[in-house]
Amino acid sequence: MRRAWIIASALLAALFGYTVWESRKYAYLDALGPGPGFFGIWLGGVGVLLALFLIAEVVRGGAFLDGDARVLPALADVPRPLAILVGIALVAASVEYVGFRLATLVFIAVLLPLLGVRNWIAIPVLAVAGSWGVFHVFYHWLKVPLPLGELGI
Amino acid sequence: MRMKLSSLGLAASLIAGAATVAFAQGFPSRPINLIVAFPAGGSTDIGARIVGAIAEKAFKQPVVIVNKGGAGGQIGWTELSRAKADGYTIGYVNLPATHTVVLDPERKAIYDLDSLVPVINQVLDPGIVWVRADSPFKSFKQLLEEAKAKPGTIRAATTGILSDDHLAILMSEEAMPGASFRMVHLAGGAAQLKEVLAGNIDVAFDNVGSIVKQVKAGQLRGLAVLDTQRSKFLPDVPTSVELGFKTVISSSTRGIAVPKGTPADVVKALADTFKAAMADPDHVSKLEEQGLAIKVMIGDEYTKYYRDNYALSKKYVEWAKSRPAK
Amino acid sequence: MEGLTFLLNGMIAASTGQNLLFAVAGCFLGTLIGVLPGVGPAAGTAILIPLTFKLDATAGIIMLCAIYYGAMYGGTITSVLINVPGEAASVVTCLDGYEMAKQGRGGTALGIAAIGSFIGGSIATLALVVVAPYLAQLGLRFGPPEFFGLMLLGLCLVTALAGRSIVAGLLMAIVGLLLSLVGQDPTRGAPRFTFDIVALYDGVDFIPVVMGLFGVGELLSTAEKPYRDVLKTNLTRLFPTAAEWKRSIGAIFRGSGIGLFMGLIPGVGAIVPTFMAYILEKKLSRHPEQFGKGAIEGVAAPETANNAYANASMIPLLTLGIPSSPTIAIIMGAFIMKGLAPGPFLFSEKPDLVWAVIASFFVGNVILLVMNLPFVGLWARILHIPWQYICVGTLLFCILGAYSLRQSVFDIWVMLAFGIIGFTMRKLDLPTAPLILGLILGKELEKNLRTSLEMSGGDFSIFFTRWLSLALLIMSAMIIIGSALSLAPKEVRESTAD
Repeated sequence: MRRAWIIASALLAALFGYTVWESRKYAYLDALGPGPGFFGIWLGGVGVLLALFLIAEVVRGGAFLDGDARVLPALADVPRPLAILVGIALVAASVEYVGFRLATLVFIAVLLPLLGVRNWIAIPVLAVAGSWGVFHVFYHWLKVPLPLGELGI
Repeated sequence: MRMKLSSLGLAASLIAGAATVAFAQGFPSRPINLIVAFPAGGSTDIGARIVGAIAEKAFKQPVVIVNKGGAGGQIGWTELSRAKADGYTIGYVNLPATHTVVLDPERKAIYDLDSLVPVINQVLDPGIVWVRADSPFKSFKQLLEEAKAKPGTIRAATTGILSDDHLAILMSEEAMPGASFRMVHLAGGAAQLKEVLAGNIDVAFDNVGSIVKQVKAGQLRGLAVLDTQRSKFLPDVPTSVELGFKTVISSSTRGIAVPKGTPADVVKALADTFKAAMADPDHVSKLEEQGLAIKVMIGDEYTKYYRDNYALSKKYVEWAKSRPAK
Repeated sequence: MEGLTFLLNGMIAASTGQNLLFAVAGCFLGTLIGVLPGVGPAAGTAILIPLTFKLDATAGIIMLCAIYYGAMYGGTITSVLINVPGEAASVVTCLDGYEMAKQGRGGTALGIAAIGSFIGGSIATLALVVVAPYLAQLGLRFGPPEFFGLMLLGLCLVTALAGRSIVAGLLMAIVGLLLSLVGQDPTRGAPRFTFDIVALYDGVDFIPVVMGLFGVGELLSTAEKPYRDVLKTNLTRLFPTAAEWKRSIGAIFRGSGIGLFMGLIPGVGAIVPTFMAYILEKKLSRHPEQFGKGAIEGVAAPETANNAYANASMIPLLTLGIPSSPTIAIIMGAFIMKGLAPGPFLFSEKPDLVWAVIASFFVGNVILLVMNLPFVGLWARILHIPWQYICVGTLLFCILGAYSLRQSVFDIWVMLAFGIIGFTMRKLDLPTAPLILGLILGKELEKNLRTSLEMSGGDFSIFFTRWLSLALLIMSAMIIIGSALSLAPKEVRESTAD
């Protein structure tokens, strides 16, 4: 927990530092007042200080930490969240090429078993309902434009 | 048997030939995406939905309105310029806004004048200068004289940085040398109305379509319509030209364009169908309800307007960038 | 009195077939969202926006609002039955609600929550009817400097009240504010921090961020540690006994007052009033030792405050156009999508719509009461659906929602990234609300600052010479000084980790 806080604060400090650096490219002030770079510099600067303060606080043993709660999931618990993340990423990467229906069909049909569902009737039914069914409702009834993909499906 | 086979082949080639002809003539064979570079509910979107609903009957294919709002239209126009040039992705261009994005190097536009090919114009909404009904400014001329006598004190609202209204203020300043306004860039017509009524802004530059209702109701006073002829929605408001300011002509136009490289026959099919749709009485009455003036321009006329507007905007964008903020 | 006439007309409009149908549908979907652990009102409202695309403005907004307060109520059910808050504002309900369920009084806990919510929601809506027209009048005098002050006040509050550590709250608010800098800057219209990605020219849209932090992030947590079994408890006896009723009634009215008052202040968040109501009851009680062991006031007070807050937080939105919480910001987004600007003008320009929406809150409160008291067993049964189906189904709607708002695949990526960030923040116990409000308010803050200075020609005195603006600035300063001196009740700060 302690190490996780330090890493997180250090990452934030780096992010804020970068913002300050990037903001120097934009005008700090202009004729009317704060320019486009003003807030980046100040917010980033204050952020760096706060993040460093937090690190110091954690090292000293700050009171706001919750004992020894685990931050990284136990190894056995990793596959499920990971499957979700990879699943969303694959849909995002493919949806404009293969279309909404195909992308979500595969998403549902693969993710459900990966999360531990073993009902081999429910999986195909839900996959079709969740892809073709949802598409039909949203595209045709609710007029929500959804990607059709190169093949037009 | 042989003969039969060859006649079969002939038939097949005939069908194939018919199919290719059908492809050229039979555009479109699937839904057309019409990109609107502004959120749903805005006046560009309203116009697009009205004409789209009529055109899709003629196309016999759905016209899907795709709102790609953001960054003053820049996101939608970028998307349009990058789309496949097959006629299935078309979009609205708003002049001069589409051009001012390109003309301002700070906006880092990645499309340019030639990335888009104008097809047909639908609406020309002239600029208007308006004040609160109890404002001391009774005429456009008096307003400009006041802006000259007390430069940089009259608070004038635009509907955004480098919008047509921003350019209109610059044109007005140019027409009365020495005059200068204190420019306030607001988010749009609704924000203008609120601030003017609250007394935070003295005068607003916008388009006729946004405020017809309030002017007719007597809540606001139109000082000048920035056009060569009076607006049929507000026949009592004089034009800038008749008041003697011949260079102060500003409008926002909305029309349909396609990405560069779209086949000529597809462009023609689009232009013809949309032209017919815009002549439809349903289209005319629905747009008039919105206070939007129809101005159909097509082919060379629209192309010329598209290019002339670029040249005109260029001058004022450069000026806007160099003009001091105060 | 004029308000009453309008309200009557609104009632008629809200009770017409179509609007009533969408209110019922919204309450149903909202309760469902609240019941499903892992999806709170913010993510739930966000992913259901596409449902309203085709509806007219009145029906669409009625439905979204119904989803919102339905979700606020539905969260109670999971708190009581599986000790997992369905949404953040029900955290405190777990303390006594779950205990009551363990004692076989689960039905009563849900019953008193439904009744309390109904009373609290109705009182807050009544206040909205009375106060809103006057506030809208005041709102007409709000110019850019006043909005700047108000946004600043909201941001100060959310930071001061968020999380167990003010430093952590501030850090997250800064992250949100920095995110709000991405996109066109209001001074020159030039893209900033965009890395030449065109999708970023308009900035980071907060809705996929909300879906990521509150939706995907929560689902990742659920997937890591699937929730426990549903408690078998007696759901047949819903109405409290005379003795229980006597103990609750005071709590319900005090809870209503707290929720109502907190709803008026932008940036407080739903969780603060629930904790304050709970702490107040514990302090007033003659037997504080029973709290945490199944005291019925411990359920009645926060649940009432919760729904009073939900209804009252519509007041700043409708009268000033200020979103006081992420969910309200999403509802505001829906107004804008329908071409309406929430704010003082709405009352004069679209009275039909505003009053129909307000009246629908009354209607919605009745619907929720009806939907919850007799059907509570049905909702409990939904919790028996294996979590995998709920998780995948919700993810599907998250993807659909994130994409369809701007037809942008980029927004799916934004949602994914913030899902990971939200998952991590949960682990580290970092508050998410300041991040979201920083993102939402930051853009407005900078824009209103700029517009104010454009109006004054660069003269900063514009913020101090207008009394409303000055008052708001002084209040903001007081909150910051107060929180630095730790004046806020310690329990409130410690418990508001979300």
